[in-house]
Amino acid sequence: MSDRQAKIRELAGAALAEDRVDYFIGWKQGINSSEAIPAFVRNADEVDQLVWNPLSHHNLTAFLKRKMPDPPNARIGVCVKGCDSRTLVALLQEDLVDKERIYVVGVPCDGIIDRRRVEKEFADEVVSISFSGDTVTATTRCGDSKDFAKGDITFDHCNTCRYPNPFYADDMAADPVPEPEDRTPMWGTIEEFEALSPAEKDAKLADAFETCIRCFACIHACPVCVCWDQCVNRSRRPALVGQRVDTKENLMFQMVHMFHVAGRCPSCGACDRACPVEIPLYLLHRKMNKELYDMLGFEPGVSLDEKPAFQTFKLDDPFGEH
Amino acid sequence: MAQATDMRQAAGTTPPDAEDEVKVVGIVCNWCSYAGADGAGTARLKQEFEMRLLRVPCTGRIDPLFAIKAFEKGADGVLISGCHPGDCHYSEGNYYARRKFELLDRMLPFLGVESDRFEYTWVSASEAARWQKVVNEFVGKVKALGPREGRAL
Repeated sequence: MSDRQAKIRELAGAALAEDRVDYFIGWKQGINSSEAIPAFVRNADEVDQLVWNPLSHHNLTAFLKRKMPDPPNARIGVCVKGCDSRTLVALLQEDLVDKERIYVVGVPCDGIIDRRRVEKEFADEVVSISFSGDTVTATTRCGDSKDFAKGDITFDHCNTCRYPNPFYADDMAADPVPEPEDRTPMWGTIEEFEALSPAEKDAKLADAFETCIRCFACIHACPVCVCWDQCVNRSRRPALVGQRVDTKENLMFQMVHMFHVAGRCPSCGACDRACPVEIPLYLLHRKMNKELYDMLGFEPGVSLDEKPAFQTFKLDDPFGEH
Repeated sequence: MAQATDMRQAAGTTPPDAEDEVKVVGIVCNWCSYAGADGAGTARLKQEFEMRLLRVPCTGRIDPLFAIKAFEKGADGVLISGCHPGDCHYSEGNYYARRKFELLDRMLPFLGVESDRFEYTWVSASEAARWQKVVNEFVGKVKALGPREGRAL
């Protein structure tokens, strides 16, 4: 783990010292060791704040989608995990990020842990999380401490991950980790939901979406949702989504997000992690990807030469009558 | 509404109770299906009257969100129809559209909407009889399911 962290610091330091980038985006420790947060490093002598550990969940390519980097035409260095690199590839496929202006450090990933799941094990605030091998030790403010096996608290999408190594990187922070031989996608927990009756699904969705506060965190954290103030969710004309606080409008809000990133979203889970009211957004996005894979054998963000599914077509697409 | 009831009585169809009535939205392209529907009307082919048509320039203009919005606003069924693949007035609009509708068709059951409540199909300007058949079959299926009572969508 620390080898990768050292290598990230080394690569970032070199890029900043040689003036190849204006700033470098990585992860750093949050208020304490129990969380990692994004870091913007502007000087080579500040790279020691960069960290890499299983808490580094943020998909940093979300910062690249900005149409107005600071300064304009900034050259940006960025760290990506396997899933993050798929979103980067999706952005590059559509020319939404300028390849010439980014420097990408790829980090092979062993899975990211779900801090929320750890938090829920304690009544008190978790103030420290440390790692040794596959054991994760969390300690609270009062000194309560508990060990977890890392595999038990990783994100669901990490457990079913088939692309732990970045697809696109200028430099790698370590040798690639072993990849599963069978690349057939797995869809994790959505099958339970699929098996429900229409009325049960409706009830479950209504319960989940009732609590949405439409804070736009899912949309802002999403690396591939790129319309900014042109977003139809913000628009009153057309009034596709109203201001009314109700379940249907909330689901509509999320439908806009889902359908507008279809073909670009690799289910990296950034929206899910950003949601302050813990709406299971992965359900929608993973289902969408499952159906896309079923329809076209298409996986978003796995090849630079490919066009996103909805920007192209085949005369003999295997659905709809001919 | 009163006028519609009069028309139904004139046409010899009994108006159903307002509560039993289903609302079906049809989104059709200007060049094929709308003309086909027009042809069916001109030829006085008897059709289910629950269908409300919405005309757009091309199926390529139809965002899947239009259908979702219709369901959200209380539609009981949504039918999308355009030119047959290969016959698009703008050459390729319906090829792009086909992918979107297929995804929508697969997503709707996941959102708690029965799969019989959504359909996409192709009807050309000369296929008035086919339009009649499509409408009657689709509205029949929606009627069999009855009005929707979704909380989420």
